[in-house]
Amino acid sequence: MKKVTLYALSTCLWCKKTKKYFEEKGIPFEAVDYDKQDEDHQEKMMEEMRAAGCSGSFPFVKIGSACTQGYDPVEFENLLNAK
Amino acid sequence: MNRQARKAALRFLFTPIVDRLGYKFTPVEEDADFLLEQEAELEAQTGIPYCPCQARTKDRAENMKIVCPCIPFHRAHYDAMRRCWCGLFVHKDVTDPDKLKQIPESKIGK
Repeated sequence: MKKVTLYALSTCLWCKKTKKYFEEKGIPFEAVDYDKQDEDHQEKMMEEMRAAGCSGSFPFVKIGSACTQGYDPVEFENLLNAK
Repeated sequence: MNRQARKAALRFLFTPIVDRLGYKFTPVEEDADFLLEQEAELEAQTGIPYCPCQARTKDRAENMKIVCPCIPFHRAHYDAMRRCWCGLFVHKDVTDPDKLKQIPESKIGK
């Protein structure tokens, strides 16, 4: 199974929906709340998101070697099923 | 001012601004209440009602672009989604916000 990592904000409605999506699907994932990290870690997270061509909007979801931004169950499925 | 009163005040302040921009509050009241709650909390912490779904950094100029309602700074992006990023506001003609997708800015127009 592909590794799933979710970069989130603790205040973000769509991050909560994304967590619920993976929980209900029974897909293990690691969630990291950006706003709960120290400044150094926040900068690293932001660099990673920008390197992927994304802005500072959440949720940011890494599935295997791919990533996507925003709550989009169809895209999550596509990335989970992509070979 | 207590939290409920501040949420009501934010709604009162934002309504005429977003109306002129062609937007309205999401009709999904549960979502609107949650998002306003987060904005009121962020305002209590920082003095500014930032978007609850976008990250603040050390760059103050960039942070100003995510102060709610942030529609003018992301006009093309939000107009393409017919909602703002956090979903607190939707285009005036939207009746079912659940049908609207969050689309990354990098994918707009592609």
